[in-house]
Amino acid sequence: MSNREIKVQNLMKQYSGGVTAVDDVSFSVNSGEIFGFLGPNGAGKSTTIKILTTLALPSGGQATVGGYDVVHEADLVRRIAGVALQDIGLDPLMKSMELLSMQAQLFGATRQQAKTRASELIELVRLTDAVDRRVGTYSGGMRRRLDLALALVHKPDILFLDEPTTGLDPASRRDVWEEVRRLNKELGMTIFLTTQYLEEADELAERIAIIDKGKIAKRGSPAQLKAAVGKESINLAFDSRELAEKARAELSDMADNIQTDRDMVRLYMSQAAQTIPAVVNRLQAAQLNPISLTLTQPTLDDVFLQVTGQRINAEEEKEAAKVG
Amino acid sequence: MTTQVSIQNTINIRRQQGHDKANLLLQIWLVTWRSLTTIFRTPVALFPPLAISIFFLVIYESTLGGAAAFIPNLSGNSYLGFILPLSIVSSSLSGAGIAAQNMVRDIESGYFDKLLLTPISRAALLLGPILAGALILGIQASIVIGVALIMGLESATGFAGLLLVVGLAILLGTGFAGFTVSAALGSGSAAATQGASFIFFPLTFLTASFVPLELLDGWLKTAATFNPITYVLEAMRATLNSGWDAALIWQGVGACLLLGTAMFALAIFALRVRTRRS
Ligand SMILES: Nc1ncnc2c1ncn2[C@@H]1O[C@H](COP(=O)(O)OP(=O)(O)OP(=O)(O)O)[C@@H](O)[C@H]1O
Ligand SMILES: [Mg+2]
Repeated sequence: MSNREIKVQNLMKQYSGGVTAVDDVSFSVNSGEIFGFLGPNGAGKSTTIKILTTLALPSGGQATVGGYDVVHEADLVRRIAGVALQDIGLDPLMKSMELLSMQAQLFGATRQQAKTRASELIELVRLTDAVDRRVGTYSGGMRRRLDLALALVHKPDILFLDEPTTGLDPASRRDVWEEVRRLNKELGMTIFLTTQYLEEADELAERIAIIDKGKIAKRGSPAQLKAAVGKESINLAFDSRELAEKARAELSDMADNIQTDRDMVRLYMSQAAQTIPAVVNRLQAAQLNPISLTLTQPTLDDVFLQVTGQRINAEEEKEAAKVG
Repeated sequence: MTTQVSIQNTINIRRQQGHDKANLLLQIWLVTWRSLTTIFRTPVALFPPLAISIFFLVIYESTLGGAAAFIPNLSGNSYLGFILPLSIVSSSLSGAGIAAQNMVRDIESGYFDKLLLTPISRAALLLGPILAGALILGIQASIVIGVALIMGLESATGFAGLLLVVGLAILLGTGFAGFTVSAALGSGSAAATQGASFIFFPLTFLTASFVPLELLDGWLKTAATFNPITYVLEAMRATLNSGWDAALIWQGVGACLLLGTAMFALAIFALRVRTRRS
């Protein structure tokens, strides 16, 4: 079997405006793995995908896709990699069959092979009913599905999906998930997918990296990441952000890890249920009355908040210190 | 499922042999066909330029045609045959506009990136819209000639001469298209490309537009001497009005080839810049 790995080392991307979109990022994706790249808006996810699929050049570092260098062996990378970009690039005047079979022919298929492949893919992404319509008349979800089909035309070994389910309804999202899993299982495709939905990464990815402001902030399997946040958490809601901050200060020694998110305080610890009475007592003593108290098992949301929220809080504290 | 497997096998075999892409001619055919398909799916865009060319032809003929007898060196020949090439040249300009609009549409929709991700050659990527534009303008030129025939044009070289005129128009238009496509690649914007197309418009006047070259004077004559359009006009006019003149025809063809080569080089450069991946 061919090499289906992705290796990224100290990757940097600085845009001409001076924005550092990707800042010293290293990771590797194994053959046949589904890898989730998770991050908020502007984190650098799309930039990373563009570099790995040869549409953009890195400003520093190295990356290989399927063993081929993305800078010096771009042609070879394009043969074995497929990509569905975040901005769907489809010609609205063309029909799905035309787009797919032309793409297949450019990749060396004969006319007949191209037709067959196009029909297969149209069936796969369930566009059979719309096959004779111009792409301009498709709904957003249909376009996304066609774009996915285009990425698969040349049977890539490695598939890059940039927010593949953004704009899809829940049913279509499940369809895409199913398809991603099928491609991965049956054809052994390595899949690199970016998403803002933690649920999606949790559902699909074997390993996840969280990227924030161009840097990898956390990586591991969904289970590892959840475990790192703490086994359970006590969540307290207050009337205001100020009260939440006070509570945070008050309770800081009671948890392994403590987070505030606007008027919410989350205390992460291993035996949360047993700690509830002590927390309540402490709050009463400080005359801080929460409006709600809940107990949760951690989800990736918590990991995400810990990674991306912490930084926001740290900055706010700095701001506050300046003002104060 | 069996077909799927067999395609995979073929692709694998081709991949090993390094042949997993279409040959250059097929690539060019595919992208040209694609451009033509989209052009014919927005047919309204084709009518205004054609209407303007015919409008010019009718206006020039009816306003200046009467005075033609007073223009020396033209006596005995028809003014219609003299002014028709100008009308055809301006329709070549609009054909070039069509090629560039196609390119801009692809860049804006992101489809251009999709093509870049295939093993397509740069030449095919450029030639597709350029050839499609050239074919459209060939059709337009034929229609304008048809109107001129109805208005009473008599070709001194018969039908073959008319074909030569269309051929020259296509050659010239290919050169213009190289320029407008470069503008499209450079700017990626429809407005800027439109603006760049207008640069060629004055060129149709900085030449022997309404009277023969010998009657021009001063800076206009200098400008006309360096303007490739002059030689194309002269070749077309001679063919329509006086008969085969090999020297003039070769001058016209040469001017087109020179312009075309320079503009295609410019387009290749513009494509390099766009795909520099910075
Ligand atoms: N062509 C460009 N020129 C300059 N800056 C850019 C360019 N493309 C992206 N950026 C900047 O780089 C940073 C990362 O952008 P990127 O598109 O990679 O983020 P993302 O993680 O994909 O975000 P989103 O979830 O919104 O898609 C942003 O600050 C963005 O403004
Ligand atoms: Mg993005």
